[in-house]
Amino acid sequence: MTDKLSLHLLAIGYHPEIMQVLHRLMNSHSGWHGTIALSLEEGLQQLTEYPYDGVLLGVGVTPEDEAIIRAAIEKQELFTRIIRHYGGGSGLLENEVRAEFENLQQQ
Amino acid sequence: MAKYIYHKEDSRHHEYNDWLDSKKTFSFADYYNPKRMNFGALRVFNDDILQAGKGFGRHPHDNMEIISIPLDGSLIHKDNLGNEQVVTAGEIQVMSTGSGVFHSEYNHEQTAKTRFLQIWIYPSALNVTPKYTKLQLNKDAFQNQFSAFIAPTADVHTAAVQQKAWMSLGIFNSTREFEYQVKQSGNGAYVYVMNGSIEIDGHQLSTGDALGITDTNAFSGKINSPEAEILVTDVPMTF
Repeated sequence: MTDKLSLHLLAIGYHPEIMQVLHRLMNSHSGWHGTIALSLEEGLQQLTEYPYDGVLLGVGVTPEDEAIIRAAIEKQELFTRIIRHYGGGSGLLENEVRAEFENLQQQ
Repeated sequence: MAKYIYHKEDSRHHEYNDWLDSKKTFSFADYYNPKRMNFGALRVFNDDILQAGKGFGRHPHDNMEIISIPLDGSLIHKDNLGNEQVVTAGEIQVMSTGSGVFHSEYNHEQTAKTRFLQIWIYPSALNVTPKYTKLQLNKDAFQNQFSAFIAPTADVHTAAVQQKAWMSLGIFNSTREFEYQVKQSGNGAYVYVMNGSIEIDGHQLSTGDALGITDTNAFSGKINSPEAEILVTDVPMTF
């Protein structure tokens, strides 16, 4: 259960109003600590400053951006999980994070 | 050889509060079941009942194809694209949420409940320009046959989604056999019984039951009740 996990999550996305909602949703979840980055550059900078458990790729992040983020994480030898966030709101957020980290716990 | 996934009506996750009664086929919001995450690109299949005048306040969506099908009553939709529409049973709405949209969705009925299916399909491309469509269903087209009302491209009888996905309805008025051709190689068909009793390859389905069928280009079945309404969601299994 991710309720019992302390997770530090970075959400990268380019729609400020949607990302504010995502920020609120992440931080209203027990045990989650959410940070948002509103540009690729800001996201890459955040990844150099803190070893996040997971990066949520949100609205506006292209497959090309994802490849850059993935390469940055590999280059820094981080264990950060990359999660594509669909739907923009609360509908799938918890599911996406739990699927990633509960699978990880079982491995 | 065809493969099957059987979802019995009472296997859906049922939750309710003072404004929403929801049966969820797949994991959604606080409901998490790793065995019920999706059927290919079909990610959400919620059967929701809203109390009179109640609903979902302003909230965002992105990168998801969201189809709402009122079964009883009507919804009022407002979004930041400037759309304000009442969608009544016999009509559907489709939101290609792409690069982001905010909307609200309420029961437009002030004294009665509204029941609707809320269906989410993963898009084939990210961050497309958001689009809203409302479509009047042509009921004649569904009589004793399957006819699409959702497709990758729009025409007079179909609304478009950003995916190689189709949704078809069949309204049958007698016991009879039927056939369904899967729309595209690699797609699977998620057959949901809105009303009635049917049989597909030995699987007995009643109202609320569903059967996911993959690894075949076509399947046949039998309507076992005097009347039946069948909804087929035809989606890529890999995307």
